[in-house]
Amino acid sequence: MKYAFFLGCLIPARELSYEVSVRKVLPELGIELIDMKGANCCAPFSIQSVDYASWMALAARNLCLAEEMGLDIMTLCNDCYESLLMVNNLLKRNPELKNKVNEILSEVGKEYKGKVDVKNLVDVLYGDVGVSRVKSAIKEPINGLRVGTQPGCHLTKPKRIHFELLRGFNELDALVQATGVESVPYERKEMCCGGPLRDINDDLARQVSREKLIALKNAEVQAVVTVCPFCFLQLDLGQLEVKRHFNEEYNLPVIHFIELLRMGMGMKLEDWEVKAHRIPITGLFKERL
Amino acid sequence: MAEKAVLVIGGGISGIQASLDLASRGYKVYLVEKSPSIGGRMAQLDKTFPTMDCSMCILAPKMIDCSHHHNVQLLTYSEVKGVKGSPGSFVVTVLRKPRFVDETKCTGCGICADHCPVEVPNEFDEQLGMRKAVYMPFPQAVPRAMTVDKVNCIECGLCQKMCQAGAVDLKQQSQEIELNVGAIVVSIGFDLFDPTQIPTYGYGRYKNVITALELERLLCASGPTGGHLLRPSDGKIPRKIAFVQCVGSRDRRFGTTYCSSICCKYSVKDAVLIKEHEPNTTVSIFYIDLRAFGKGFQEFVNRAKSEYGVRFIRTSPGEIMEDAVTKNLTVWYEDTVAGRIENTTFDLVVLCPALLPRTDARELAKVLGAEVDTYGFFKASNILTNPVDTTVPGIFACGYCLGPKTGDIPDSIMQGSATAARVAEVLERV
Amino acid sequence: MCSFSASLVERVILALSELDLSFMGEIANTPRGKGVLLCIQCGRCSSSCPVARLTSEHNPRRLMEMVILGFKKEVLPTQLPWYCLSCFTCLDRCPQGGDVGEVMFALRNLAVRLGNVPAGVAAQAKSLYETTRVINPVRTALDKRESLGLCKITTEGLEEVQKILKKTGMEKIVQSR
Repeated sequence: MKYAFFLGCLIPARELSYEVSVRKVLPELGIELIDMKGANCCAPFSIQSVDYASWMALAARNLCLAEEMGLDIMTLCNDCYESLLMVNNLLKRNPELKNKVNEILSEVGKEYKGKVDVKNLVDVLYGDVGVSRVKSAIKEPINGLRVGTQPGCHLTKPKRIHFELLRGFNELDALVQATGVESVPYERKEMCCGGPLRDINDDLARQVSREKLIALKNAEVQAVVTVCPFCFLQLDLGQLEVKRHFNEEYNLPVIHFIELLRMGMGMKLEDWEVKAHRIPITGLFKERL
Repeated sequence: MAEKAVLVIGGGISGIQASLDLASRGYKVYLVEKSPSIGGRMAQLDKTFPTMDCSMCILAPKMIDCSHHHNVQLLTYSEVKGVKGSPGSFVVTVLRKPRFVDETKCTGCGICADHCPVEVPNEFDEQLGMRKAVYMPFPQAVPRAMTVDKVNCIECGLCQKMCQAGAVDLKQQSQEIELNVGAIVVSIGFDLFDPTQIPTYGYGRYKNVITALELERLLCASGPTGGHLLRPSDGKIPRKIAFVQCVGSRDRRFGTTYCSSICCKYSVKDAVLIKEHEPNTTVSIFYIDLRAFGKGFQEFVNRAKSEYGVRFIRTSPGEIMEDAVTKNLTVWYEDTVAGRIENTTFDLVVLCPALLPRTDARELAKVLGAEVDTYGFFKASNILTNPVDTTVPGIFACGYCLGPKTGDIPDSIMQGSATAARVAEVLERV
Repeated sequence: MCSFSASLVERVILALSELDLSFMGEIANTPRGKGVLLCIQCGRCSSSCPVARLTSEHNPRRLMEMVILGFKKEVLPTQLPWYCLSCFTCLDRCPQGGDVGEVMFALRNLAVRLGNVPAGVAAQAKSLYETTRVINPVRTALDKRESLGLCKITTEGLEEVQKILKKTGMEKIVQSR
């Protein structure tokens, strides 16, 4: 399976380790990623708040690029995922809207045709690769680890608009269990990490992530497993910020699912990748690093 | 000449009323009921609004009338499998499921159940209490006979051995019979919305989050706690109770966009009942709109507020969380009148779920050739002028299977009588 | 029965006269705002909102109420539309299809037209206009990419992005800050 790899803005800027792990793991599972040249920002919620037509057109331009490549899109970031998915969905269902957007796109010689789908990493791992193949790729199961998974808001909501397209908790949990790790239920699993308020209202963003950390701590998990770079940032770096502002320590290592999978497949993380986790993961995973 | 006989499908209060009305006019009534006993939902309730009568005390005499009336033939533990024909001459195939007990011999003494080694959750008690594999669903069951639940039975034969009347017959076979009737009445009632579909309310995960029907069983003297309101996790008397309205009702997410019409009524009734039993217990009702229609109900709400101190909070709660140690529930909500986000801890939370058509309603409708609406309720042939006629001539419906347009007990009884009159009109045609 | 003082009546009349009764229609006519027509003010959104739990400044139900009643100038020029996380919990739980989370976007779109944009959002919009991305890797990150042999992060596509943003009018918004 081949996908147009939509990187988004946040990952190249702040989470290179996530990108590297994805590029290492997915080919082993039969997924080929083709870089999207000239892709622009997906138009995350901050930009959507500025202008509707711009959002539509910016997202549609990316969809056009994928159409030109003849490939469906795979995103890593939940924000990118939902932005592109929503626009794709809306344009496919609403011809009038599509015409309006194509009017804007004609300025740059592009036309949205509605030929591709938008998927995220969990989608691809669960749907294309499948839990059993993931399981059989595990050479060194990570047993005895209790985690709380953070699928993130834009992977699981709003169900009314996305209905069957959305992957929910169950898919991520099933994938996590396949590595040998136990995904523990916890209160407010659906709750936001606070990411979207970063740089807009840092104080509130911190308070939200703190609530999330409290809920995770109450469930006595040993680590948090994320899929979205925003969630990772909020819960990992966020713990340092919460410590500074609330004087509370949670000592909860945060790790991307793909990194868990990578270690389970026997591929060690490099030094710089380990250091990318501000809450140290060396304690839990020392043999695999 | 029309057959002077009628089939009533569903032995709840509206079906019972229709049966008695028709039987007393001299028509033969076959009352088919899926479960081992007639009685329906009303048998599960504690007290009924507005009279605050004990529900079973009102229902049981009517149930006895059904069993004794020479014109009524009870076909319990039976299902309608096929219908052919037209008004005045329907041929109905009814499957009599084997209860492995001879109804004519069984005295209902219960010695078989005393010795049965298998215990399973009791459906009548909404899974709160247990019953044996050989059981009577509730003490006032009609017919007064035991039933063997072959699914859970381990075939030890003890029941058969202990029965003094020789009524247990573990080799009993199912029976298909054909009935010739002139008209049919559908009165199969409702099922409850399953609140596990709203995970944030914790139903199914938290023991002290229960449905209103489960509450009725806890309040009812014949229920699993003998009528003492004791909360499921530890058997303590709850001192702070919350009712949550519109759980599934008026909700586009589940397709149940209608108002179930009786929940506001019964929750205020239950609140007052609880306050009368336990004046020191506080009761709070979380509502979106308080639908207090009909004679006496607004006054009843006013009394609930002023005399009984029941609290009414206008909101639809967002989340319910459980304290792992005490098993108390914290409800998160915005008091929309005060405009404040709050959370309050309760001992017990009662959810008022939407009332749905029975899960097999569509199947039965298909057998009858009748139409159901988008929700699955039986469609009236003309909702304005013929509200108890289904879309099939000669087939009528009454009670909640018609939908929540009305739905409390007096309405169900009224509709039962209405269908009896409509049936009589068909049966009298030459 | 209480009696109203003259000044209270005056205040009420004054407050009513300052309402903009077309506000609800204005929001309802935006692509993301039509849910406001279905709101029954049940409060399930605010009962579920993670931000509302943390600050009384933010209350999705109240925001919908303000739209419905016409409190335009109390909403659009203020901080009120900008507390939302766009986590869609409200939308997910609303029983009526009020799409509160979507209405929030409609509010913000209108707020931006009035020049009400938080600095963080404005900075992202500017970065988008100048580089096609809302944030960019710093030098060390770019060097690391190169050392790993990963694809380059460029401003390819900038010309097209700028043409698009000019056509939609967002260019003006960015340049006016």
